[in-house]
Amino acid sequence: MAVELKTIEHLCELSKLDYDEDGMKKVMGEMSDIIDLMDEIKSFDLTYDDTKDGNEIRFGDTREDVPEKSFPTEKLLANAEHTDDCYVVPKVVE
Amino acid sequence: MDIKKAKIRDLRKALDNKEISAPELCGEYFKKIDEKDGEVLSYITVTKDKALKDAENAQKLIDAGKATALTGIPLAIKDNICIDGVKTTCASKMLENFIPPYNATVIEKLNAEGYVLLGKTSMDEFAMGGSTQTSAFAKTRNPYDLERVPGGSSGGSAAAVAASLAPAALGSDTGGSIRQPSSFCGVTGIKPTYGRVSRYGLVAFASSLDQIGPICNDARDCAVMLNAICGHDRHDATSARVDTPDFTEKLGQPINGLKIALPKEFYAEGIDDTVKKCVLDAAHELEKQGATLVDCSMPSLKYAIPAYYLIACAEAASNLSRFDGIKYGYRGEGRTFEELIRDSRSKGFGEEVKRRILLGNYALSSGYYDAYYKKALALKQEIIRQYDKIFEQADVILTPTAPTPAYKIGEQDNDPVKMYQADICTVTVNIAKLPGISTTCGYTADKGLPIGMSIIGKRFDEQTILQVADAWENGFVPLDAKL
Repeated sequence: MAVELKTIEHLCELSKLDYDEDGMKKVMGEMSDIIDLMDEIKSFDLTYDDTKDGNEIRFGDTREDVPEKSFPTEKLLANAEHTDDCYVVPKVVE
Repeated sequence: MDIKKAKIRDLRKALDNKEISAPELCGEYFKKIDEKDGEVLSYITVTKDKALKDAENAQKLIDAGKATALTGIPLAIKDNICIDGVKTTCASKMLENFIPPYNATVIEKLNAEGYVLLGKTSMDEFAMGGSTQTSAFAKTRNPYDLERVPGGSSGGSAAAVAASLAPAALGSDTGGSIRQPSSFCGVTGIKPTYGRVSRYGLVAFASSLDQIGPICNDARDCAVMLNAICGHDRHDATSARVDTPDFTEKLGQPINGLKIALPKEFYAEGIDDTVKKCVLDAAHELEKQGATLVDCSMPSLKYAIPAYYLIACAEAASNLSRFDGIKYGYRGEGRTFEELIRDSRSKGFGEEVKRRILLGNYALSSGYYDAYYKKALALKQEIIRQYDKIFEQADVILTPTAPTPAYKIGEQDNDPVKMYQADICTVTVNIAKLPGISTTCGYTADKGLPIGMSIIGKRFDEQTILQVADAWENGFVPLDAKL
């Protein structure tokens, strides 16, 4: 199944990714092949039973709600490229 | 001391008997890394200064008679496991300069043992691949043939152990990323049961499938490593509250009476004839040791690749949404907040990572969710049911680890579908949350390339798969890597 350009553009929007014109053509071809492979699953005839999943996480088994020492601010900010005692981003509101 | 293919237990003995000191031992490995890693490219970061300090501290413990199994043992760690103060790149431009402010739980546990960090090993970018050729920094080569891939995504860890650039290493396995490179590089690697090892501090690819595990020279060393890294962790909500046994306990015990299942779909079309024969020959050797072979079937295997890729990519799309270029990671350019994020992600991620994010968002998006993602979850339940059924009549399952031996670098670069299909032998083990170990069962006659077989166990029964792997390895003579 060939994936349409508008589908890839929508996926890029959801994924926050950009491609140039050549890149878009290439990824369209690759995604068409990949989705053909994924389509094999459509012939499988069973439905998902959500009551059988999710038993690994025990939400009733959480730690005591007591304050703990957190990471030092300067250590966390050290990995950001633009900082001024906080994360710096372009203006969101003009 | 000759460190070629040295086992952890050999090194332990040498350290305890004062045949070598911990700083001297790590010096031997760095000498070898300096000599050989220019060809293998297994490490992204080598941590000589830290290692020397770690080794001196380890030596003090040894001198005080306080050494435990891994005190003073040099280890390599896959570059998606966070170590406080040590660059952790996930082999991605996105995290080229990222220095974690904390240790992964497995690192805390290894620190408690007094291990020595040799460095961080290369991998496919964000663990997405089976060749280590999507690494942005070190496209690792196979020590058995430098023109071939080492497998992946933990290819750096497997190649480092195969080339004696580390006696053992940690990797991570989301769809075969410990077992397949172990197979390609002729070493032994185990993916523990999901929940057995904490994922805290492992940079997430697909959270319901990821698991950390060791890559070593043999099953005995894997058992020693597992003893050090397993256990419940309150930092990981999916970490299991189960007792941690002594994983060395069943090693050396005879396997007579054990039932080994051979699901016919794993030996069907698509699996290289040499691989098939080699694994079945090994099965018959185990039969001679007293095990019983059981024929069985896993019909859902034909849907395993789409089920795995839909689940894994859906989770990856969500997990990788945190990389926005603001708090950490590669920062692009943009006049607006939106432009900044899009530019950071478009330039920071490699092509394979971007393809998987697109596929994940496709599977999760409106109109496709039921047809793809929910169908994949239904298949996951069916795969679990079929494994449960096989385990009603068998103790372990034996399969090839990969459909082929290591292939040539570049051979699958432009064909993502072929690359995905190569994961057929390993992905169901992650989907069903089972433990699986890969060990070498032979070599190709013409080129001497390693062939791996996988022993799959019941949930939390790592002891039995280690026992079977050990029983096999005791009668097997491995060939050294050419390098």
